[in-house]
Amino acid sequence: MRFKQLPVALFGALLAVAGCSSTSNNPAPESGTLTVWLMNGSAPQSVVDGVNADFKAKHPNVNVDVQIQQWSDVTTKLDTAYAGSSPPDVVELGNTLVAKYAAAGALQDITGKKGGYEGSSTWLQSLTESCTFGGKLYCVPYYAGSRAVIYRKDMFTAAGITNTPASMDELLTDGQKLMDANKSDSNYSALYFPGKYWYAAAPFVWDFGGDIATQSGGQWKGSLDSAQSQQGLTTLKGIVDKLSRADKTGDEAKQDQAFAQGHIAMIIANGWEVGQVIDPKAGGDSSLKDKLGVFPIPSHTAGKTAPVFLGGSDLGIAAKSKMQGLAQEWVKLLAGVKFQTQMATVGQVIPNNTTLLDLNANNPLLGTFAAAAKNSRFVPNSPNWANVESGNVLQDMLVSIFTGKQAIPAATSAASAQVATILNAKV
Amino acid sequence: MNSASAAAAAGHGRLAKMNLFRPWAWRRSAGAAPYLLLAPALLVLAAVLLYPMASLVALSFQHYGLRQLIAHSGDYVGLDNYTAVLRDGFFWKVVARTAAFAAANVALTMFLGTLLALLLERVHRPVRVLLTAGLVLVWATPVVVAVDLWQWMFDFEFGVINWLLTHLGFGNYIHHNWFAHPLQGFAVITVVVVWGALPFVVITLSAGLAQVPRDMIEAAEVDGANPLHVFWYVVAPVLRPVFIILATLSTIWDFKVFDQVWVMLNQRPGADYFLLGIYSFSESFRVTQYGLGSALAVLLVLILVVVTSGYVRHYMGQLGEESK
Repeated sequence: MRFKQLPVALFGALLAVAGCSSTSNNPAPESGTLTVWLMNGSAPQSVVDGVNADFKAKHPNVNVDVQIQQWSDVTTKLDTAYAGSSPPDVVELGNTLVAKYAAAGALQDITGKKGGYEGSSTWLQSLTESCTFGGKLYCVPYYAGSRAVIYRKDMFTAAGITNTPASMDELLTDGQKLMDANKSDSNYSALYFPGKYWYAAAPFVWDFGGDIATQSGGQWKGSLDSAQSQQGLTTLKGIVDKLSRADKTGDEAKQDQAFAQGHIAMIIANGWEVGQVIDPKAGGDSSLKDKLGVFPIPSHTAGKTAPVFLGGSDLGIAAKSKMQGLAQEWVKLLAGVKFQTQMATVGQVIPNNTTLLDLNANNPLLGTFAAAAKNSRFVPNSPNWANVESGNVLQDMLVSIFTGKQAIPAATSAASAQVATILNAKV
Repeated sequence: MNSASAAAAAGHGRLAKMNLFRPWAWRRSAGAAPYLLLAPALLVLAAVLLYPMASLVALSFQHYGLRQLIAHSGDYVGLDNYTAVLRDGFFWKVVARTAAFAAANVALTMFLGTLLALLLERVHRPVRVLLTAGLVLVWATPVVVAVDLWQWMFDFEFGVINWLLTHLGFGNYIHHNWFAHPLQGFAVITVVVVWGALPFVVITLSAGLAQVPRDMIEAAEVDGANPLHVFWYVVAPVLRPVFIILATLSTIWDFKVFDQVWVMLNQRPGADYFLLGIYSFSESFRVTQYGLGSALAVLLVLILVVVTSGYVRHYMGQLGEESK
């Protein structure tokens, strides 16, 4: 245990030796290495290469070192990186994490430079909001993603289902038809739902009018234990109990590979996961290409869709970066129209700009994801929200509910109290 | 490490007493030489252990969140972190869980280790070589690799354990999730921890067993003692110091178990799986409350000191008896 504390102690030591960090506004040096952290699976390699090539053309003496990070442990890595004296100059941040790092002073305030970014007047509003803290802009919208259901058209047909489910009840009854049609397969899941998959569970809570937490008078109050939230989770548990044989204590990290194995009819997934499912290099199966379809997560009200979580990423520049100007130049390229167009068409994500939203509108699969984003919700906008995520509060609650360890009222009231405690903690 | 240096100190004292009557040996214990020789090791210890420990204690009196981490200066809050932790029912739950887990693991490790050591002494040479090689292999396997292997074996979908249990007729274990219920989950973790701890215990104990005089055992057998009696009244007393050292070390290790839980549960153990080490790490690096996490770590160290000081006193008493 003591060794786990070592890094913190060592940072102190390093700083003491290094003296104070420089905060003066030197003109950006035109040589050296610009360090960029992108997340695993965000930008296709061709886009990264393109951005770097354009950057190199203008700044031939500057190297760009793009490092790919994993989502699972990213907050720990970010904490330690920002605590050091030379953090990565540019970092891709999940949109739910920005508030934490902005509030802590890790990110450069770029409010005054917003106009210099191409298309900044038509950035996606929700992403811009995730970059805004205390009225100031701390990052640049990068891309968005929202979830829908990816399903196997051939399995639906074989089970005699002609239309995709238009309500949560239909999702359950269609799922049961699929389970019946595949009785002999003991690994079969009509809807594969790993127990910790909070962002697929949130739509059920929101659809019934529930929420994670609400704010009044500066204080947060957990609302997962509200009657509406509980109703949503009860509906979800009914569906998961009957349709899913996924690990009730597992997460969604491997769901695309599992889906490609052929024992699953539906997963709740992001748009770019379609590509993962059919990419043999990612453990997918290319023969599924024409068998996949997408429909939005249905509402409990027939004919409507459930609100989904709007995920996505932003690009932040470290306050301690010694290459502020060059970092901005690099971000301007990746967030600009040329490469955002490629992000949409090659990367299959929702680009950062409303003017580019129609790029995938005619794609039968990706169009549904873009449409789903129009009915989307976000997490409580608090610098402490990231701690709710990394503290596994919601995941633990779902696991308790799905494994039957706790009844829904008990599990939700415990989680609600925890969420409130974390959100109201002193920053 | 503490018990070892304590033993060395005690030995040194004994030597000094004896030397009073052996003037030719005086030179051995005199002068600054021992301290000079110890100095490099002490310096390294101070750098890698004392300094971080002092920082840890200092951190535990501060509010140290992300903002403070980035600015490299915390806000001193006195004992706030400690009172917050000690007043939290969850902390006491974790302490009780950690203690129960450690007790079960130490008991199992010592019991199985003794049985295996006795077995090792009795089997024919080729079997013994095979067994020892197996033990060394287990020992040589890095913890993370070992936990990954066990994780696959206990996998709920593809795991060989579920397949085996089902095919051996123990019931339907298809899609049985071992980690859905903490008691079963901790049972699996116990298997992994004990499995990894056995080699050291077995090999040390069989070295100890070689020291038990054969004629004492034979004498006892002639007097009509059955094997259990022989073990209890002849072998065990001779092995007592070894048992105490092994139990001390196992207690320390099992109180601090981290990797096995962390890796087994994919780096996201739920609150039901928090042991003190995990809890402290999680408060620090997951929830970014480095002050609280440090307070937890300090408390863990204090608990360990209290628990192991019992053993150490026992051990010192033993040494004292021997030197009489």
